[in-house]
Amino acid sequence: MAISEEHVGRSYPPTAPYVVSAAKIAEFAAAIGDDNPAYAGSEPVAPPTFVAVISSTAWQAMFDDPELGLALRRIVHGDQRFEYRRALRAGDAVTAQLRIDKVRTRGTADIISSSVEVRTLDQELVCTASATFFHSHEAAA
Amino acid sequence: MSTVTAADIEVGTQLPPLVVRFTRADLVRYAGASTDFNPIHYSERFAAQVGLPGVVAHGMLTMASGLRVVTDWVGDPAKVRSYFARFTKPVVVPDDDRGAEVTFTGTVVAKAGTVVTIGIEAVADEVKVLGAARAEVDLGE
Repeated sequence: MAISEEHVGRSYPPTAPYVVSAAKIAEFAAAIGDDNPAYAGSEPVAPPTFVAVISSTAWQAMFDDPELGLALRRIVHGDQRFEYRRALRAGDAVTAQLRIDKVRTRGTADIISSSVEVRTLDQELVCTASATFFHSHEAAA
Repeated sequence: MSTVTAADIEVGTQLPPLVVRFTRADLVRYAGASTDFNPIHYSERFAAQVGLPGVVAHGMLTMASGLRVVTDWVGDPAKVRSYFARFTKPVVVPDDDRGAEVTFTGTVVAKAGTVVTIGIEAVADEVKVLGAARAEVDLGE
């Protein structure tokens, strides 16, 4: 099987709940070299791109879908968009759900547009993380 | 904390630039913090197998660093409403103490009420590594 336009609209079950912790925020902020005081203290917010930690777990369901025939080593992350309703905070428990928005084939590559909604367990939308992936049909030489 | 307000700025306002250096140690640290363990970010052998010139930085690490130009300027990262970037060129990180240097600059490209759009440029070795990078921040009253 191969991914095609017929898979547009497909979505996967939400990921298991992820609880944002002050420790993980501190670890992530250190990894991006960012000492903004908002990421420290007793009630830290997460750096905006921290959402990638959660949204990327939702990508896995698509990458692992046998009907799409995707090979991880032939996937390149082309672009990324985040639309924020609010900042993630320590203590937030969220899930991420991926939807395939668009599939195009150009030459020997599929171009896959996806969006991941990150919501609290009360269904409050916190962020939508949209990514474009290039999936080449042939393994690179 | 910075106290930038919409009244203080206009289209064309330049943000203070940021120069970041990524070493292999930084990539390992970001892999752990983000849980992105793609071997192209630590294995020369694997990177060569998929046709890359060497071990490359995570696109999301470059993207995260680019947003620091904005959040260092506005102070409060919760003011970020959206962020987009295209991963146009990989940042190759050599296995030495110097690593790879990336220079980030930001310019106000639009203003609508209290919402300001900043265009971000990221340059490594005189090559743009992010394309069409834009962040929207709501500066409030």
